[in-house]
Amino acid sequence: MSDIVLKDVSKSFGAVSVLDRVSMRIESGEFIVFLGPSGCGKSTLLRMIAGLEEVTEGEIHLGGRRVDQLPPNERGVAMVFQNYALYPHMTVRNNMSFGLQNVGTPKVEIIQRVNDAARMLEIEHLLDRKPAQLSGGQRQRVAIGRAIVRDPKAFLLDEPLSNLDAGLRVRTRLELAQLHHRIKATMIFVTHDQTEAMTLATRIVVMNNRQIEQIGTPMEVYSRPATRFVAGFVGSPAMNFVPIKSITDVGGNASISFAGQPPIHTAVPFGGLPKNNLTLGIRAEAARISQDGSGIEGVVDVVERLGERTLVYCRLPDQTTLVAEDNGVSAIQPGDAVRIALDGNVAMIFDEAGKAYHAVVQQGG
Amino acid sequence: MIRNQRSEVVVAYLLILPFALTYGVLFLWPTVQMVYLSFTDAPLIGAGTWIGLENYVEMFDDRRFWTSVKNTAYFVALTVIPNTLIGLGIAMMVSRLKGWQQSVILAMFFLPYILPVSVVYRIWAWMFNLQFGIMQYPLTWIFGEKTPVFRTQWMFMPAVAFVTIWWTCGFNILLFLSGLRSISTDIYEAAALDNANRWTIFRRITWPLIWPVTALVLTIQLILQLKIFDQVYLFVQGGRPDPSMVLVQYIYSQAFQKNEGGYAAAISVALFVIVIVFSVLQFQFLRARGEK
Repeated sequence: MSDIVLKDVSKSFGAVSVLDRVSMRIESGEFIVFLGPSGCGKSTLLRMIAGLEEVTEGEIHLGGRRVDQLPPNERGVAMVFQNYALYPHMTVRNNMSFGLQNVGTPKVEIIQRVNDAARMLEIEHLLDRKPAQLSGGQRQRVAIGRAIVRDPKAFLLDEPLSNLDAGLRVRTRLELAQLHHRIKATMIFVTHDQTEAMTLATRIVVMNNRQIEQIGTPMEVYSRPATRFVAGFVGSPAMNFVPIKSITDVGGNASISFAGQPPIHTAVPFGGLPKNNLTLGIRAEAARISQDGSGIEGVVDVVERLGERTLVYCRLPDQTTLVAEDNGVSAIQPGDAVRIALDGNVAMIFDEAGKAYHAVVQQGG
Repeated sequence: MIRNQRSEVVVAYLLILPFALTYGVLFLWPTVQMVYLSFTDAPLIGAGTWIGLENYVEMFDDRRFWTSVKNTAYFVALTVIPNTLIGLGIAMMVSRLKGWQQSVILAMFFLPYILPVSVVYRIWAWMFNLQFGIMQYPLTWIFGEKTPVFRTQWMFMPAVAFVTIWWTCGFNILLFLSGLRSISTDIYEAAALDNANRWTIFRRITWPLIWPVTALVLTIQLILQLKIFDQVYLFVQGGRPDPSMVLVQYIYSQAFQKNEGGYAAAISVALFVIVIVFSVLQFQFLRARGEK
């Protein structure tokens, strides 16, 4: 049992509040990603679970035991720091054994566990080196190895990939996913990179401005964001937001239109929607450059050719920018007048406060 | 960037010329002169005749020379390691403070260091004053009677060592504090998660990581304390200087009181060699230990 429960956890540094009544339940074996922009409190929350920051208010339970008043070592968690925090004067082997030595693990077992972890992470040949003699990626592995040997109830990873170069980051991301699959431990991973969150998480906790915006699987967060913030933060390119001019009821669903544009039928139920100051949210892949002259009008500003697809940045008549997609081979040039077909079935509507309204979930789909 | 090599070299020489000249005139040349002087029977002022190794032979048979060597060694033993450990201890305590509290406490510890030795002497002469010195209270409590510390032979060196530590440890604290600050807090957090208790953290994290600073402080201290003169000279005033004579004091008395310029030069050369040999040896030894 290594589930983690947070109950109304708050944190303030003096008069500055950094977390406000955060609650969640993390099941044993989950890979949870805290995702959010800098300063949203995600690292602080992780450090509170680790015991490195005190909890101002609220409770933290780990494996059924309340731990928020316990020192870090009594919580049975291991942490991988952003800059690895390896002991610079110790060899890799000693870095990995240090924690076990401190709890009086027999020497034979320490050697066994360090060797096993080193084999798993393919760093056996580095065991007698010091951190300064390792590359960034190797240090990263040692930091993970140091966590693994302790066989913790939960792994806490604080932006562990942010110091790696792009290629290595992708590779390490993959290896982390494999590692989680193999050891099936509870992992909490903090990042501001939505790609890391999408690819690694069993569930993503999107945080913003001291609070949790949404907790959900990557696909839930992607396709049914709870708020405009989540919609804009997750996914690349960012979701398009277009102000709605008018809204009508067509067969129970909302049909919306922009200034001077043909209407778009969405699958969002009309009932319950506020009527003013609404915004349509639609992802670039649901806004295709129309081949048959249907759809809304726009003028092309910028064309980004990504190879398998082309991103077309259009200006609508009301001066809103909308990113649409076209095929990889596209003749579109900046300045072209185009029509964009929006797929109303996957569009969503946000009210003034940023709350999202979605299509009804289709059963058995 | 491509530069004109020749004009670079000319500029470089021009820039180091003032230093090279000053160093040569004020350090190298006097040093050479002193070594030469040590082979003559020169008085304090004026030339002498070449007498070869006679001064050195005399030195090896000079009981007072050996007393001063012994006293200097005793003083070094009383100050170097204690001063270093006390500096580290206080620095570790000060580093736990934050913000203005740390600045204030640090300033208080550093204050004695900016005092001239004459002021330090006056302060502690008063503190230990036989009639109204405040230190007589604890001394009376320990020994049952008022004690003339600087007139009691076995107490003299320890007392001067104590005053020296009080006077100079602020600088060591400063060095240690900057060393402690350079240890990342992440490492301590990692150690806390790794179940390390305070003693383990000190023994296996702080001590090894602060070791380069410790080696530096030990070496600076060693060189400084081998050259001890001022405090001993001041505190012994009015008493018998011989039993507590240290090397530089002996050089001073030979040169300026006995007018034995050549002999004083020979002892100076001996001290010079001792300082170089011991500091180099110590620094190498400490560095080697640090790399293990």
